[in-house]
Amino acid sequence: MGFALTLLSCENELDQQPISDPTAETFYAIPNDFIQGVNAVYSALRGYPDRQLNLSETRSDNLYAVSDGGVRDWEGINGFHRTLMSNPYVAEAWLNDYSGINRANVVLEQLAEHGDVVTDTELRGRLEGEARFLRAFFYFDLLRWYGRVPIVDHVVTAAEAAAIPQSPIGDIYNFIVADLQAAIPVLPAKSAYAGVDQGRVTNAAARTLLALAYMTQSGPDYGINGPGMGANNWQQAADLLDEVINSGAYQMLQGNNAYASIFSYDNEYNSEVVFDVQYTTGQNPVAGGTFPWLLVPDTWFNANGHPNQGGLTIRPVSNDLLNAYESGDIRKDFTIQTGYVFNGVAEPRSFFKKYVDLSRVPSNREDWPINFIVWRYTDVLMLKAECILHGASGSQQQIDDIVNQVRVRAGLTPVANIDLARLMDERRKEFAAEGSRWHDLIRSGLVEEVMTTWIENEDSLNGIQPFQLNYTLYPIPQAELDAKPGIYTQNAGY
Amino acid sequence: MKLLFFLSLSLGNVSAQETAIKGKVIDSHNSNALPGVSVLIKGKTTGTTTDTTGSFSIQARRGETLILSYVGYKSKEVVVTGSTLHIELESDSQGLEEVVVVGYGQQRRADVTGAVTSMNTEKLAERPLPRVDQALVGQMAGVRVKQTTGNPGQGLSVQVRGVGSISAGNEPLYVLDGFPLSGATPNANGGYSSGNPLDNINPNDIESIQVLKDASSAAIYGSRAANGVVIITTKKGKTGKPAINLNTYVGYNERSKKLDMLSADEWIDRAVEMINAQWVNSGEGRTAAQSSAERRQILGLSDDEVDTRYMYDDRWLQAGHPGLNFIDWQDEAFRKGLIQNYQLSASGGADAVKYYISGNYNGQQGMIKEQDFTSYSARANVEVKANKRLTFGLNVTPTYSINNDPGVEGKDNILHQLVSMSPVQEASSGLYPNVGDNPQYQWSTSTNSPIGKLEQTLAATKRFRTVGSIFAQYQILDGLNFKTTLNLDHNDNTFKRYIPFTITGSLPNRQSDLTKRTSGTYSTFRRQTLVNENTLTYNKTLAENHSISALLGFSYNSDKLDNATMSSQNGYGSSTITTLNYALGVTGNTTETKNVLLSYFGRLQYAYKDKYLLSASARRDGSSRFGANTKWGWFPSASIGWRVSQEDFMQNISGTLSELKLRASWGKSGNYNIGDYSSLALLGNYAYSLGGQLVTGLAPSGIYNPDLTWEKSDTYDVGVDFGFWNNRITATIDYYNRKSTGLLLNVPVSQITGFVSSLDNAGSVRNQGWEFEINSQNITGGAFNWSTSFNFSHNSNKLLSLANGQSQLLIPSSFDISHSILRVGEPMYSIYVVRQDGILSQEDIDNGAALYGNETEGDPKYFDANGDGVIDENDRIIMGQPNPKYTWGITNTFRYKGFDLSVLVQGQWGGSIYSLFGRAVNRTGTGIVDNVLGSWRDRWRSPEDPGAGKVGKATGTFGRIKNTDWLYPSDYIRVRNITLGYDLGRMISKTVLSGARIFVTAENFFGHDKYDGGFNPEATNTNLSGSTQFPEAGDYGGLPIPKSFIFGLNFTF
Repeated sequence: MGFALTLLSCENELDQQPISDPTAETFYAIPNDFIQGVNAVYSALRGYPDRQLNLSETRSDNLYAVSDGGVRDWEGINGFHRTLMSNPYVAEAWLNDYSGINRANVVLEQLAEHGDVVTDTELRGRLEGEARFLRAFFYFDLLRWYGRVPIVDHVVTAAEAAAIPQSPIGDIYNFIVADLQAAIPVLPAKSAYAGVDQGRVTNAAARTLLALAYMTQSGPDYGINGPGMGANNWQQAADLLDEVINSGAYQMLQGNNAYASIFSYDNEYNSEVVFDVQYTTGQNPVAGGTFPWLLVPDTWFNANGHPNQGGLTIRPVSNDLLNAYESGDIRKDFTIQTGYVFNGVAEPRSFFKKYVDLSRVPSNREDWPINFIVWRYTDVLMLKAECILHGASGSQQQIDDIVNQVRVRAGLTPVANIDLARLMDERRKEFAAEGSRWHDLIRSGLVEEVMTTWIENEDSLNGIQPFQLNYTLYPIPQAELDAKPGIYTQNAGY
Repeated sequence: MKLLFFLSLSLGNVSAQETAIKGKVIDSHNSNALPGVSVLIKGKTTGTTTDTTGSFSIQARRGETLILSYVGYKSKEVVVTGSTLHIELESDSQGLEEVVVVGYGQQRRADVTGAVTSMNTEKLAERPLPRVDQALVGQMAGVRVKQTTGNPGQGLSVQVRGVGSISAGNEPLYVLDGFPLSGATPNANGGYSSGNPLDNINPNDIESIQVLKDASSAAIYGSRAANGVVIITTKKGKTGKPAINLNTYVGYNERSKKLDMLSADEWIDRAVEMINAQWVNSGEGRTAAQSSAERRQILGLSDDEVDTRYMYDDRWLQAGHPGLNFIDWQDEAFRKGLIQNYQLSASGGADAVKYYISGNYNGQQGMIKEQDFTSYSARANVEVKANKRLTFGLNVTPTYSINNDPGVEGKDNILHQLVSMSPVQEASSGLYPNVGDNPQYQWSTSTNSPIGKLEQTLAATKRFRTVGSIFAQYQILDGLNFKTTLNLDHNDNTFKRYIPFTITGSLPNRQSDLTKRTSGTYSTFRRQTLVNENTLTYNKTLAENHSISALLGFSYNSDKLDNATMSSQNGYGSSTITTLNYALGVTGNTTETKNVLLSYFGRLQYAYKDKYLLSASARRDGSSRFGANTKWGWFPSASIGWRVSQEDFMQNISGTLSELKLRASWGKSGNYNIGDYSSLALLGNYAYSLGGQLVTGLAPSGIYNPDLTWEKSDTYDVGVDFGFWNNRITATIDYYNRKSTGLLLNVPVSQITGFVSSLDNAGSVRNQGWEFEINSQNITGGAFNWSTSFNFSHNSNKLLSLANGQSQLLIPSSFDISHSILRVGEPMYSIYVVRQDGILSQEDIDNGAALYGNETEGDPKYFDANGDGVIDENDRIIMGQPNPKYTWGITNTFRYKGFDLSVLVQGQWGGSIYSLFGRAVNRTGTGIVDNVLGSWRDRWRSPEDPGAGKVGKATGTFGRIKNTDWLYPSDYIRVRNITLGYDLGRMISKTVLSGARIFVTAENFFGHDKYDGGFNPEATNTNLSGSTQFPEAGDYGGLPIPKSFIFGLNFTF
């Protein structure tokens, strides 16, 4: 009898619950659980800045980074290698964007099912708006890298996922637009957030993303199922940007040192920030960023009395970009470090140091404190100018005013009759190292001409393959093709 | 005292018939005298042992029975009939009468129907091995021991009959004196971060080791037996006079191999060639003839600046290279390390109590500076027979060990750095470039001196482990016994590391930041395994011919692991204190996991007339690790044996063929190493920062699988056992076929799920092969004796299926493209790389040879496998398999008078190693700051001077693609052990010592392997895949295995 009881109690012991990990069974029970669920979606943003530097900045004419004998993952990106299907940067984008989408889907499903535990309806609306915005954000990122990607709008099993095909570009845009249109009314303005909520998604951020999505959709259709569809949504975009501008919540920083102060470690959440990916240092688990260090060679840190930051070699800034700056442009010296000497060894080449504050180098290279600004107000203004150039309501004077406001802050003289090429040139210098160059080239239709000429002039090491329009998209990662044989069509050119 | 004397005297008087009986004991085969034979009067405690001439003298009465026992011989009972006795003992070494320990019991070797192999442990105490697993190398067919590390005291990898699991580990279950130890799967780097079952188990205490290879013998251990079971039995006391044994040795160990790297002069030759080429290519009008001064001027550099891409150090080419040191880093770091061992043991027993008590000290200085291992262990095995029916026992083994290892093996660790460090350095820095106040040499890497790191890093693993068991056995009826045991394995492990700022970063930050760059870590784990086993056994012979043995049991097994780790955040506030109380900011966390395993098991063995043997067993295991829908599983087995030699028709040839047994078995077993909570829907913390503050983010960390369960293994085995000429030669042949299914596999899923893979039971793999063991007394009977044991095994591994009909799965790599593949129809983890076919000539290029990137003449020529005219990752083909196809070992033992010599030679072939260490020391395009393999001496320099045809030009800029240049056969042959001993007992008076022996042992002294790009073809120290889902432990700078030489003495009192 006693023996049988012992056995029974033993059998209960087979139901061991994890001691150090929570399980889904007991979660989503109190409002805070849903907030933490949404936080996890934000967390998927943490790789976003690095991705823009690796896949946009490095792909563009801003960097000439093929000097390491082919051993660096970025060389294939910069050199238009045909075999990027296994490139870690290309693979990372697919996985991490979908990881964010899955977490957003989890939260949205749980809100639909158990959302009534969040009795504060405003909070519940906000949480849903945040999740929808972030889901749209990740889809927009995917769309720009890969073109046609599958739409996953709920939590899927592995078996379900295996059967989901790529969606047409138009459907993906519709999905993004629907999410953002649902998010805008329930998301608050910046002023509604304070303390630990500071930096959450605002309605202005959602409007900016929607505007940018409309603009990207309106870019030229290169015939490759890329993000451009030749749609004419410039006016819708301009209207959304106007709403942000007219909200009065944002302004360009002015005054001495204004450009630098946008990126100051002590001036985060400044009035130019519309949306940023946020980091903080010295936490456990680590909540810092890696992007400030990503384009910076190690020996420069050494030369400034700092330890190695991960052994990276230089990703040199192209001569083309160096020469593009007019003299007196204060943005150049802030953004770019030109040459240095360490231990008597000279490095004459230039690199981007925009995000590095040498007085704030963290002890762990993955733990930089500075936030990454995804869109700043200057961008909103310049996007507005771009819409006008494409036929949205507005005047040449408005365009010139916007661009000259930017130029004057950079220490340059005003100019007139700014055209698209000129605008893009100004964007290149204003947003250098911010990951927008490659997207700008594609959206503006300048990519083929600019890149072809650039390769011809810049490629003294003969490390870049000839440019093709197919290369405005990246290939679908090999691992994903392998997991779903026969379901996907690889992008042309790979 | 006086009284006692009187008593014994008077007793002597009373038993008037008792007289001094003299006798001599000899070997029945060769008539050699047997010294040290225990002679005991049955039913009394009186006893003695034979002297060196095999003679003894004992007070006994006629009609009394003497029991003679001696290790390696069958015990014999002799009735006293006269005053002198001549006794022959029959050798037991042929093994068929020997008893083997199987799961939950013992069996006569002759009755075994499964595949069970035993190891000869006789010489174990005379080998300088700090660990038991090292001793298994080359001893048993089908048991492969990979010596994965040269760090003394670290766990090795043992595989029984190939690898049957992709990600749940391939290590066998270890059972120590009946206690199934908690299994450890090596971590992704190939090490054992939460302990290895054999840690701190003192080899000198081992009595016997048996390996249960097939499922019929192992399946009694159910869900843990798929990788085989290693049964270790420790020494117990024997009835008789107390024996006190002192075993001691002292000697040294050192590296068995030095890697051929470019010498300083050769390094300079290569550097000058490369710098000149870069200079000439960097612009118009630049020629190799231009001096550094001219180049400086052209580059517009000031006098104290250099551009190392384009300028070399003028001192390189000056006579005597003034101001520079030429350093052979390997020679500076390796040493002869002292090894010593002292073991004192006492054993003995009377009818009621038997005991074995030992204490051991083992000290091993590593072959590389500052690495060492010290262990202290004690053991008490005590058994008390309380009455006729009840027996109690206690085994307890407290141990403590310290392993100092500054972090020698693995990628970016000291050995890697010291091999690839530039051999030319500033003389002013000595052996310490970029350490303390010394700067980095301009043409060298930023690595801090590896010698400095060796000397200044503090890193110690301290382990306190106690394995304790108590048991009680009660004889309910004659032949029916109940036994209950309670076992606890308690392992406390601490790891402390302290890295002072003086060996970090660059000179400016050492000078400015000082102790801010110092870092420290302290981590601990505690593993507790608690096992309670209850068995009921019944042994009976019915009607003379039917012998039955039955077993029923229940066991409870819980395993708990607690981890804690702390590390410094922002340096230290002190330059002298190494503990974390002086760290500026400390982060830490703790985690705990637990699993419980419940089991019911039974076994029935039946033999008819000792001829027809039958055995069947079943176990039912329930584990907390398994998913909610699959908590319990059955593991049955059955086997039959036929001792043909017992048949009447064989009797006329029994003089020649003394033993012939046919065996066949089948069984199912499992592998339950699937992680403690893998089947549950866990949430992960995806932290984020909002408003400058850390916030918790929780989301599912994987795809939930409530059906997750153990891996299954189905094994068929057929075998034949032979014995010739009264078992002077015995041999065993086995064929096996093991199919493992439901493999724990991170099945790649579409990443649109948000995850890379989902843990599932999918895929299957087959291991089949054959094994051969032979033991032969080649020469016996005279003063000279020679015996041989030989084992040989073949295993072929084939992946049968993956998940969802997938045909292949590329194992990711953290270093460039994949080089390892799981492809159906091929061996697991096949090596998948581009094949190099010599060097490109201009003619090849003109003829349209396929090129990788911007390759030119003098770069390597690669095989365009898919024929598309370019070389890229699509040209990878399977070029080898990681596991050897054949392994073998042979031990020859020679005896002449008091001398004995034993030689163990062992080897393997048919496998390959893909060495990512090549990425450090043999990479196309390796820059000048790193040193490269000696094979670069014979590189391509010009069409007229094409070198050896393997290494392309140093000035190539095409980059690299994973190809066969890092592929080496893992074949080797090694003289593992040579021991020469002499029996000093022949010269020493028996009144002082009952035995004495002197020996010298050379371990790993000779050998040959084909791994020119690394030290040890079996090394694993780095996770080459960089993935926890598909871990691939490989070599990225592993130490050579040590060779050692010792001198030892062994006294028995």
